[in-house]
Amino acid sequence: MRAEPKTILRFLLENFEALRDLFEIQSADGIVKKEILKTICEKYDSNIQYQLLDYKILHAINDDFEFHSVYLNLIEFVVSEFRPLLPETIEKYNTSISQLYQRIIEGIDGDKAILKVRVAELANEIRSFFELVERNTISLLKETRNIKANVDKIDYREKIIRASRWIDEYIVPLNRILDVNHSESVANRLYNIAQFVNSKRLSFSDEQLRLQFEQLYHLIISINDGLLRQSKTLTTELLPLIDRIRTESLILTGWIEFLDKPEKYDTPAILKPVKDFAYSENVYLNTKEFFEQFSKEEVVYLEEEETEKEKWIFNKRYYKNKLKENLPVDDFFGWCAETLAKEYKTIEVEKFFQIISLLFEQDLDPQVVETAYLIQIKTDKTTIRIPKITVNENA
Amino acid sequence: MKMLDYPPSHLEIVDNFLNGRFILHSDKLFDEIKENEGFYKSFLEASFGYKLNLTQEFAYVTSNESNENLSRDISVFFAILCYELDKNGKNFLEELNYGTFRYSQIDELFENSSYQELIATNNKLKDSNARKNLFNEMSRRNIIEKENDDSFTVTSAYKVFIEFASELAKSKISNGSIQEPGGSN
Repeated sequence: MRAEPKTILRFLLENFEALRDLFEIQSADGIVKKEILKTICEKYDSNIQYQLLDYKILHAINDDFEFHSVYLNLIEFVVSEFRPLLPETIEKYNTSISQLYQRIIEGIDGDKAILKVRVAELANEIRSFFELVERNTISLLKETRNIKANVDKIDYREKIIRASRWIDEYIVPLNRILDVNHSESVANRLYNIAQFVNSKRLSFSDEQLRLQFEQLYHLIISINDGLLRQSKTLTTELLPLIDRIRTESLILTGWIEFLDKPEKYDTPAILKPVKDFAYSENVYLNTKEFFEQFSKEEVVYLEEEETEKEKWIFNKRYYKNKLKENLPVDDFFGWCAETLAKEYKTIEVEKFFQIISLLFEQDLDPQVVETAYLIQIKTDKTTIRIPKITVNENA
Repeated sequence: MKMLDYPPSHLEIVDNFLNGRFILHSDKLFDEIKENEGFYKSFLEASFGYKLNLTQEFAYVTSNESNENLSRDISVFFAILCYELDKNGKNFLEELNYGTFRYSQIDELFENSSYQELIATNNKLKDSNARKNLFNEMSRRNIIEKENDDSFTVTSAYKVFIEFASELAKSKISNGSIQEPGGSN
């Protein structure tokens, strides 16, 4: 004879500690071995084996035992010890929800009684789906935090593997299920159902069904909000956290390997600044090149001394006409330098400064090219860096 | 005579590169290098045989002749620092990115490190003074930035060394030198 419900509940309450131990054993090993059941019974000094089987809390598999799924879910729920489910398990709701929805559409004008049952079933499936998603997010967060805190004292390499597994097998696929923009996702399916149910709750002829659609509509709306929250937790908290664990563990694995034998590996290339020592083979040529700069200047200087030059008078009209013939000039200073170089071979700085005074002539329109780089003019005495200037006729 | 148009800070850029410095994103020179990436690639290659390495965060040059000892010392420094920070429950990447390090804190981490033997035999890391010299060299190269006499921050150039560790782990895992513990199921 089946036991009274209250008797079963009282049994659960009185023997909860033993049941919790058994639950943990099954969560870890997938089964409760005969010897372990015996050990736990002895530990709590209670002979509960008979009731466990009689109340169908456990059932026998060969010589060992397993929790009945209802009690397993109950204890899991009560102690909040969920194990992450593979998204494939959750994905099955896509099929059941879609099928029920399809049948509701097809039978919308048919038998009202069966329609009521289908609407109720659809609500149940949607609720179960959400509960699983919520449990999975909670359990994934817990697992991730455990890896971060390293409660299991695992090494970095194992951390990389676990973190990669959580990302690739659990988090990313789960996020796909929750992605409302993905046409095949459950969240997208719910969105479509909500639109359909919304129209029916306002217009359906049968009042009782109208009420049922109303309830379903509000359920879906609140579940959609919940799914959005779960998805946000996955993408903004869980994924970055676990990704960081993976990255950090990978780096530490590399460092530990490196520190084991630092001489064995080619570390990143960083430049060795080149210095020329007095005995370097480059020194002769470099020094020669260096002094040659000055020797050139010296030649110019000596020539100046030898030839007594007349004082140069700037013929403004002549150069202005020359400039005007060449207008528009896109590099005024370059033009001045070129003109002087053509006429005198060298660019004397005094001449250069006089010729550039043409820039202030009123019938010329100078403009600075702001984007251009500074240009360099090498004169007999110095190198001048000046901006590029274009000159047009002033209209 | 018209000269070639060089970027305005060309001299400064080349001087930095030739001295083995990292030019960081925050430096105005970085934008000039980025704008003239093609020019600097060919210029450095043709003039010195150097390779320009340009990332989103920094630029530096490398050649066939690397300062291996310095690079190894810096790598060991970062390796021990990351390991010890992690051991002390810190997110070492966050610390490197945003943290400020006091010299006394580094001394404490290194003195209590389980890599004591390695530290003691490394001339650039063996004690506080030796480490100060290494920090000076790292600062000259813009790998760290001294805040004052007591502390420094690490610049984004640290990523070159972190990348090295990450690649080393990946290659070891992929060629099986590091066993994947517990399988991958």
